[in-house]
Amino acid sequence: MDEPALIRDAQHGNLDAFNTLVLTYQAIVYNTALRILGDEDLAADASQEAFISAFRALNSYRGGSFRAWLLRTVTNACYDELRRKQRRPTTPLEPGTEDGDDIETPRWLADPNASPEEQLDQAELEHAIQHCLENLPTDFRAVVVLADIQGLNYTEVAAAVKKPLGTIKSRLARARLRLRECLQSFRELLPAAFRLVEERGL
Amino acid sequence: MTTITFRDVEQLSASLDGQLSQAEKMRLEARIQLDPALSATLLDLQQARAILRRTPKRRLPRNFTLTPRMAGIRPPIPRLVPVFSWASAVAMLLFVLTLGTNLLGRLSIGASAPMMVAAPLANESFGGGSPPATQAPASDNTQAIPTAETLINTAPEATPPGEARLAPPAGPPATKAATEPVKIWSYIWLGLAVLLIAVALLLHRASVLAFRRRVDGKHNK
Repeated sequence: MDEPALIRDAQHGNLDAFNTLVLTYQAIVYNTALRILGDEDLAADASQEAFISAFRALNSYRGGSFRAWLLRTVTNACYDELRRKQRRPTTPLEPGTEDGDDIETPRWLADPNASPEEQLDQAELEHAIQHCLENLPTDFRAVVVLADIQGLNYTEVAAAVKKPLGTIKSRLARARLRLRECLQSFRELLPAAFRLVEERGL
Repeated sequence: MTTITFRDVEQLSASLDGQLSQAEKMRLEARIQLDPALSATLLDLQQARAILRRTPKRRLPRNFTLTPRMAGIRPPIPRLVPVFSWASAVAMLLFVLTLGTNLLGRLSIGASAPMMVAAPLANESFGGGSPPATQAPASDNTQAIPTAETLINTAPEATPPGEARLAPPAGPPATKAATEPVKIWSYIWLGLAVLLIAVALLLHRASVLAFRRRVDGKHNK
């Protein structure tokens, strides 16, 4: 894929070229939105919104990492969504027990390719990670999702959240520490390898 | 064992991502070897990072490709489409006007005929004047209509100039009755013409929209 050529064509209004870029980056965009927002439907809406905004603002792209530029758009869409959510809080329609408690590992989280036991472990780990991520301030969450979950380097993260490198370093360190503390409360859910390391460490 | 500052945590975190210079890295490694608290913190950060990297990637619920409508692009319409659709609208307009003019013309001729025939009738009733130039019976108005040409030719001859002013008394009731249907028909035709033009314009708009929708649909597939 000749990315610069596709970007150039898209900047001239070629929608097919832009859609080729969408197909390339939609997974990273959607998963970033999902980890920041913690809701599939909101993440899908934010992703779609981000691609629409990206197409309209494509002429403001002045080179550099296109992935980071696109992720900045989706991060902004997520911030907007979180602000909207704060203004109008809603009750999630998640499956619950007869007593009214939420089921922590609903079936719709399962990956159909894994065995039932693996599915359960994976779903619980994912739930634990998502829970800890949601306890972080939004700015820290975005940085840790981009750097540790999506694997962007510091420069790309800085471009994506429009903050200097020093801020990224600092936010990432704080976020990792807080996550580590939070994840310790889900110790039994962590993969065996991490539990052993932790026990050695203690 | 020293107290760990936030600056230390920042350095440890950055070292995991290879963001330290060679000198900084060597200094930190030396400190880690001497300080178990630093090495424990490094391990904590390492674990947090490793767990996050294991976060499962979710499958996409759908594709996020944009349609022209989402992108705000109006699909291009072939040049001939508006030409043809406007041509059909104009053709319809001309058709309506031609038909309307033709019919109104006939009606007005048909309506004016009784008035013209009324003149000889008036002459006869006053007992003067020359006999009618044509054989058409004057008492039957419907039979006086046959051809406009005959009527136009006969009327001036039938009424001598001097007695022409006697004709009007018989005229007014016949004129009023005859112009009424003409007026009604002209209104009906005007309304019908406006309606048909509006229909033509709506059809034009609908055909353009249908074309755009088809192009949109094709793009979505």
